[in-house]
Amino acid sequence: MDLNESPEHRAYRATVRSWFEQNKPGELEALEERRAWHRKLYDAGFVGMGWPKQYGGQDASPIEQAVVGEEMVRANAPGTINGLGIGFIGPTLIAHGTEEQKQRYVKKILTAEELWCQLYSEPGSGSDLASLKTTAVRDGDHYVVNGQKVWSSQAYSADWAILLARTDTAAPKHKGISYFILDMHAPGVEIRRLKQITGGAEFCEEFLTNVKVPVENRIGEEGEGWVLAQTTLGFERGGSLLARATRHKMVLNRLIEVCQTMPRNGGMAIEDPLVRQKIGKMMVETEVLRYAALRLLSKLQKGQRLGPESSVDKLYYSEMDKRHQEIILEILGPYGQMFEGLPEGMALDLEATRDGEDSWAHNFLWARAGTIYSGSSEIQKNIIGERVLKLPREVRADRLARV
Amino acid sequence: MDFDFTDEQIALRGLAREVLTAESSSQEVRKQMADATGYSESLWKQLAETGLLGITIDEDHGGLGLGVIEQALVLEEMGRAAYPGPYFSTVVLAATAIIAGGDRAQLDAYLPGIAEGTLKATLALMEDRLATGPEGIGLRARSQGGEYVLSGVKRFVPFAHVADVILVAARTSESPSDPSHGVTIFALDKGAEGVSIEPNVMIDQTNKVSTMTLENVRLPREAVVGQLDGGWKILEIVLRRAAVGAAAVMLGAARKCMDMSVEYAKVREQFGQPIGSFQAIKHACAEMLVEVENAHGATYYAAWAVDAAAPDAALAASVAKSYVGEASRKVCGSAIQVHGGIGFTWEYDLHLYFKQAKFLEALYGDAEFHRELVLREVMTPQAVPVLA
Repeated sequence: MDLNESPEHRAYRATVRSWFEQNKPGELEALEERRAWHRKLYDAGFVGMGWPKQYGGQDASPIEQAVVGEEMVRANAPGTINGLGIGFIGPTLIAHGTEEQKQRYVKKILTAEELWCQLYSEPGSGSDLASLKTTAVRDGDHYVVNGQKVWSSQAYSADWAILLARTDTAAPKHKGISYFILDMHAPGVEIRRLKQITGGAEFCEEFLTNVKVPVENRIGEEGEGWVLAQTTLGFERGGSLLARATRHKMVLNRLIEVCQTMPRNGGMAIEDPLVRQKIGKMMVETEVLRYAALRLLSKLQKGQRLGPESSVDKLYYSEMDKRHQEIILEILGPYGQMFEGLPEGMALDLEATRDGEDSWAHNFLWARAGTIYSGSSEIQKNIIGERVLKLPREVRADRLARV
Repeated sequence: MDFDFTDEQIALRGLAREVLTAESSSQEVRKQMADATGYSESLWKQLAETGLLGITIDEDHGGLGLGVIEQALVLEEMGRAAYPGPYFSTVVLAATAIIAGGDRAQLDAYLPGIAEGTLKATLALMEDRLATGPEGIGLRARSQGGEYVLSGVKRFVPFAHVADVILVAARTSESPSDPSHGVTIFALDKGAEGVSIEPNVMIDQTNKVSTMTLENVRLPREAVVGQLDGGWKILEIVLRRAAVGAAAVMLGAARKCMDMSVEYAKVREQFGQPIGSFQAIKHACAEMLVEVENAHGATYYAAWAVDAAAPDAALAASVAKSYVGEASRKVCGSAIQVHGGIGFTWEYDLHLYFKQAKFLEALYGDAEFHRELVLREVMTPQAVPVLA
């Protein structure tokens, strides 16, 4: 057990840090500005770092990825775009796609020349994703897709989607699903943006009406979709947990700064023992997240794959974030609820990590999403209970029906 | 960057588990709980023979010369076994203080005895004021004719009733502006005149503590451990080690309670099915795993940081004590809930862990105390490295 950063990684960190110091752009507004910044990051070798070299990646180690992720956050620099594409759609194609599919799509995911989204959830299929009803019916050299999808992040700007659709309605629900690449510009694809409780609208819903998908755009065999979707593991997830912890710590550091000049209960907020206890507790939990991230990195660095135990980290982080945002708003009072017009020196003042402005208020609202998306906290607890602790599976009506 | 234990560390953990499984069964633990001395001589001998008593004592003084990570591994196993006895007080508290502050004569006088199991020791720290900082130390030590005369009361002194040597933190000079100045540590041998030791009856019967009253106890100049008036520096080191050590014991208790709960939930049936199939129980168990894994990360990160004298060692020790204290409380408590009625019975073992974790939660700085330290640490500019 040795948690020191090796001399090589320390040197690498110094290089990355100075790159960000020299290249960090000002505020980016339009998509094209963000795409240009993304391209610059790609040219520097900071995008898709864990991908194999032959597909435009760097074959970089998990620690190198984590260093870049962390330094990007530290520099308060804007992030990359095409997150889903880079985080898991590209790796999925590399792992399960045909050679033609890899040649056609993978590189342009990295460079963000083409943007991707994910069409998984449906109005009637949230946590029970495998009950999805969108169909893909084979018709000669293509499939005809009909159905409705929802909660697809940034679908409004996407060129392509990865789609789960049912090809066999007679098979047991997990076995009748196939995996497709869908052209978001194809006729029959109608996209509506969903306004969220944040006021922003990065999620969308899609209506798919007789959309033609060529057979060569199927990934894997018919009926393999569920298994492929389940086994896909992001190549960059380990590194991003550390960046999250760092980012979270920066938010708390900023909160401390604000509390040093914010009067409260007859003194500055930071002098109030209750405020101190609250911030101390949040710092403790954030450090614990950092240790978890280091532990994960240590595993990844040894070539171990992430299994169901990664649900522990997702559950902890998302619940922690929700709790902390609530505490931050307790401390800041109504100031924490202001989208605009905060007095000088009280704003969060950090680079937005996603579309939409970043503010105490926005973070507070956004934290509600974290315990729902990518498997709600309840689903994560089922996964931990059943797949990690090996507790008996619950009796479910949809399983009984098959007996 | 490697968060895994070395083969040697894993072997050491195995050794500790082996000794404790053989010598600290539930039956044995209960025997010691009911016994006035509260520990087993036979197990103490085993701990000496396997080197675990001298784990952090250097080889010249008969120890293994290992570090804080190794010590934490042994302590986690002790938590797992609800071990009753003066290991923590002797090895984590007293030996650390002697190593940190003792002169050559004191090292030679005490360390070999601790390592070979012939000398049990403890540290008398707390008083009537419920304070973990130096302001809590008020027991007077007056200088008189080349000697020191100590009078006052020490509370919650672990295993004072069996200790051969008791290190007493006393006040040799008042400095209201800086209470950390003026604290001196004295080594008090068993049977000194003027000392009375009154055992307390506490929730946790595996850790026997006493109220210790000193009435004009006379000690020679040679009894001072470390610098006169400079004892707080030693106690800071001890408290940091105690924070990490207590975290390790509480982690062991929590993991054991989780394991017992998961096993029980697989076999206990209600409404015609194992209770572990119900989400209410399953989710409680999942939450235990989150706490236990985080407690593991916090404990061993801190153990490493203290060992490596990392810039964030103080921060990490406080994070560990405050996080693991609350985590073990939650997990051990939740385990009783998952078990239902049987978990509330004396004959079932859960309460042993529940109580031992509770005992340590309140000592060496509780969660609140350490949260304040954490805030102070993060507000000092040089603290907190990135990746480590």
